[in-house]
Amino acid sequence: MRLLSRVKSFLRGFLHKQQIDAELDDEIRSTLELLTEQKISEGMNSKEARRAAGIELGGVEQVKERVRAARAGAWLESLLQDVRFGLRMLRKNPGFTAVVVITLALGIGANTALFSVVQGVVLAPLPYPEPDRLVAVGESNPRFPLVAVSYPNFRDKQRIARSFEQMAAFGRQGYNLTGPGTPEHLDGKEISSGFFSTLGVKLTLGRGFSPAEDVHGGAPVVIISDRLFRNRFDGQPEALGKSLTLDGVAYTIIGVTPPGFHFEGDADVYTPLGEAAPLILNIRASHWLFPIGRLRPGVSVLQAQAEMSAIQKDLDQIYPDADRDLGMAVVPLKQQIVGNAGGTLLLLLGAVGLVLLIACANVANLLLARSAARTHEFAVRSALGANRTRIARQLITESVLLSLAGGALGVLIAFWGVSRVPGFLPGRENIWGASRFLPRSENIAVNLPVLLFAFSASIAVGILFGLAPALKNWNVDLQPALKEGGHGFASGHHRAQRVFVIAQMASTLMLLVGAGLLFRTLRSLWEVNPGFDTHHVITFRVGVSPSLTNTASRTRIAYQQLIERIRGVPGVQAADFTDVMPLTRQGGTMPFWIGSQKPASLQAAPRLVTFLAGPDYFQTMGIPLLRGRLFTSEDTITSPHVVVIDSVFAHLYFPNSNPLGQTITFGFSPTPPCQIVGVVGHVKDWGLQDPAANVRNQLYFPLYQDPDPWVADNYADLRVIVRTPLDPATVMPAIKPAVYEAGSEQPVYDVQTMQQIVSASMSSQRYPMILLGVFAGLALLLASVGLYGVISYSVAQRVREIGIRMALGAERWDVFRMVIGHGLRLALVGLEMGAVAALILTRIVSSFSHLLYGVGTNDPLTFVVVSVVLTVVAVLACYIPARRAMRVDPMVALRYE
Amino acid sequence: MASEPTNLLQGTLDLMILKALALEEMHGLGISRRVEQITKGTFRVKPGSLFPALHRMEEAGWLTSAWGESDNKRRAKYYRLTKAGRRQLETETERWGRISLAIARALEAS
Repeated sequence: MRLLSRVKSFLRGFLHKQQIDAELDDEIRSTLELLTEQKISEGMNSKEARRAAGIELGGVEQVKERVRAARAGAWLESLLQDVRFGLRMLRKNPGFTAVVVITLALGIGANTALFSVVQGVVLAPLPYPEPDRLVAVGESNPRFPLVAVSYPNFRDKQRIARSFEQMAAFGRQGYNLTGPGTPEHLDGKEISSGFFSTLGVKLTLGRGFSPAEDVHGGAPVVIISDRLFRNRFDGQPEALGKSLTLDGVAYTIIGVTPPGFHFEGDADVYTPLGEAAPLILNIRASHWLFPIGRLRPGVSVLQAQAEMSAIQKDLDQIYPDADRDLGMAVVPLKQQIVGNAGGTLLLLLGAVGLVLLIACANVANLLLARSAARTHEFAVRSALGANRTRIARQLITESVLLSLAGGALGVLIAFWGVSRVPGFLPGRENIWGASRFLPRSENIAVNLPVLLFAFSASIAVGILFGLAPALKNWNVDLQPALKEGGHGFASGHHRAQRVFVIAQMASTLMLLVGAGLLFRTLRSLWEVNPGFDTHHVITFRVGVSPSLTNTASRTRIAYQQLIERIRGVPGVQAADFTDVMPLTRQGGTMPFWIGSQKPASLQAAPRLVTFLAGPDYFQTMGIPLLRGRLFTSEDTITSPHVVVIDSVFAHLYFPNSNPLGQTITFGFSPTPPCQIVGVVGHVKDWGLQDPAANVRNQLYFPLYQDPDPWVADNYADLRVIVRTPLDPATVMPAIKPAVYEAGSEQPVYDVQTMQQIVSASMSSQRYPMILLGVFAGLALLLASVGLYGVISYSVAQRVREIGIRMALGAERWDVFRMVIGHGLRLALVGLEMGAVAALILTRIVSSFSHLLYGVGTNDPLTFVVVSVVLTVVAVLACYIPARRAMRVDPMVALRYE
Repeated sequence: MASEPTNLLQGTLDLMILKALALEEMHGLGISRRVEQITKGTFRVKPGSLFPALHRMEEAGWLTSAWGESDNKRRAKYYRLTKAGRRQLETETERWGRISLAIARALEAS
């Protein structure tokens, strides 16, 4: 009842505000009259009575104000009043308002943009139903915590495991589409039946693969992406049942994925996994598949892990040759996809938060300066019945209005920034397990959670910097403030302003140090010798026509002819094939042993990184021969099998003997034991930073000795590498006709220069460096504006003092030095504090991330350069106010007061 | 000389106003005088506290108000208890009884 009655009166107060106010006024005035009459009847004269009644009542306006405050709608009413008044104040000072709003927009905008990245990549759940039940299922061996799975192992686990509602697997696969329409290379996936239902994704058209289609010799069927569906079939449902020619085979379209469907890299076509060559499918030791699973409701990741480990133990017993020492890894799918991007993003979020705090300090300083000028206004309002809370609320309302305006503009900045993310990222993604800067980048957008973040950040920031002037005005003495007549200032402001400037300088130094250290890291990485000549190398892929590759021997001939034609192109100095480019982290490893001593299990055998290489590969890449010989055109499928190893391999396994002539056997290759014929220089294959020891030793297979059963798959993965002094734009138009000579169905795609590959390999440092650099620049700008503002304000306040100094004989240069010295002292204190904080922070950060390379966390050069930059900027910021102080005319200054 | 009038204890103000209005309707000043009278000058309600309380209690539905004429023909706003107000007076009275009894006992105990 009571609540209802309050709500009613709240609404009444809201709707009939004027009338209610008039009534209240009447009531208080009539009370005053009654009181006066009473006093008169007690014997006072009318003047005395009026005075006494006024004192007893305690002021008509004050009583009215207290009644208003006690009403139900009081808070809303006063809020609206504050907002109206605040807007009026802000409109009255457009310059001040603009500076504050732009400052805040930069801070909030940068934060919102970065938060949208964090939200899309780390916070947002995976875009599939009940994503918490999705896991990645991998195997583990003594060297790697999570490796891909072989097909026979996947099928056994899928059949036996009870923890999962459903389990499926995928592998990445490229396809050359030759019809309908123009030939094109497509990224795709081989998926097991049940892949889409495991994810919980419903196809917009058609159906997923049936188990009968997911076997060797099953009808060739394909599921296509929404993009392909729209581009090649105009989005017409009749596409179902039509055929798509992939790698020379006609596939029937049976399904279309939903628009925007995305899972670990782009894919336009999906084919049944079981259709792959039985030879590859049946090798239990060949790990190339990535299984995913949907846990049964109530089953935890740990329980699934325990069950899978038990299953793996049984498989160990049955297949000791392939499976001994193999473990299982069940990892939440999101964790597997996001990888270690979270740490770097958190670091950047901290950095951008610092930028916002610097912006806040600027605004707080401006507000402090302005509130000093408004002391008189607040005193008048107090005298008219406003209490301190009311005035503080007014000030905070004004600052929240400012921050909301800044937030709105900031969201626009964020929209702009986020729209630039896709062009900003490296083109190719690596499959999971390998680190990359930004997984899930397709998920980044300024959406509702991001807008909510921007809104709450704006409110919080507004209250934060609004508090400074509000608290400052808490204990203003009315009398002097009223007397000052609008020219008042409270000296306490200076201390708060100084603290803000010092904090700004310290924060800016920290950001500059971070950006500087990453810049030095990149410089060191560029200076690392990768083991080959990264200049003047172009690489691309060719979809060789399926009609030329129907047998292994024809395939070899087709590729040999192709590379000969490319070598004949003017400007091409050398060219050959390889299967994996260094620094792309896409190579695989293989177990091996030297001589005839087979190890106890394949999992315990040492690993090496293998490359397929044509005879001219080393010359093209500029990899030096150290001992023995390179491959020649004489190394063919009929000649004795040979390999070339790298210097690290030679050093590790033949420290005191001659590697040449020794034999190596491979874990699951049909190739017989091979003889080592040469040693070449080591190539930094995994990345320019020191890799884990187990991916170091490298071995090269001659391309034309690749065993027959593997040719179809291995050759399809080959890349052409060309050494040419020309740039791609000049030489590619000449290369393409040479490629097309053999048939018009051969797409040339994925053209990259080696420099681009090198630079992409640094993306996990490069993008944080660029962002941190932008943030540090922003911080530097804001902090110098802040210092400029504070020094200008103090010069304005001290005009009289400066005038007296000059009148007493101070030189203009003394004044100039005094002002610059004042600013510089603040900057230097900030610098020292920032340096100490930066030393501590960089040490903490580098202890759990591997961002830095070739530079210490306390790199003196970085600290010195950054300090000099900050000092110079500080002097520049003080220069203008110092000049102004220098030109003060003592006569004018003294007369003015 | 009588001792200084005590400021009304927080929470007793509502009870005093309800009690003052229990017999007849009254305007603000009248309530103030009545409270002073029934407490024999111990409590004095200042207008700065009285009017906010009256408006608050009216919003709560315990009082209604109407404009009327005072004894000396002046326009004044008169307050009257509602049914809810009378119930509130009973609860508050009972509650106050319990509190004062409890405090008296506490003070007697040694």
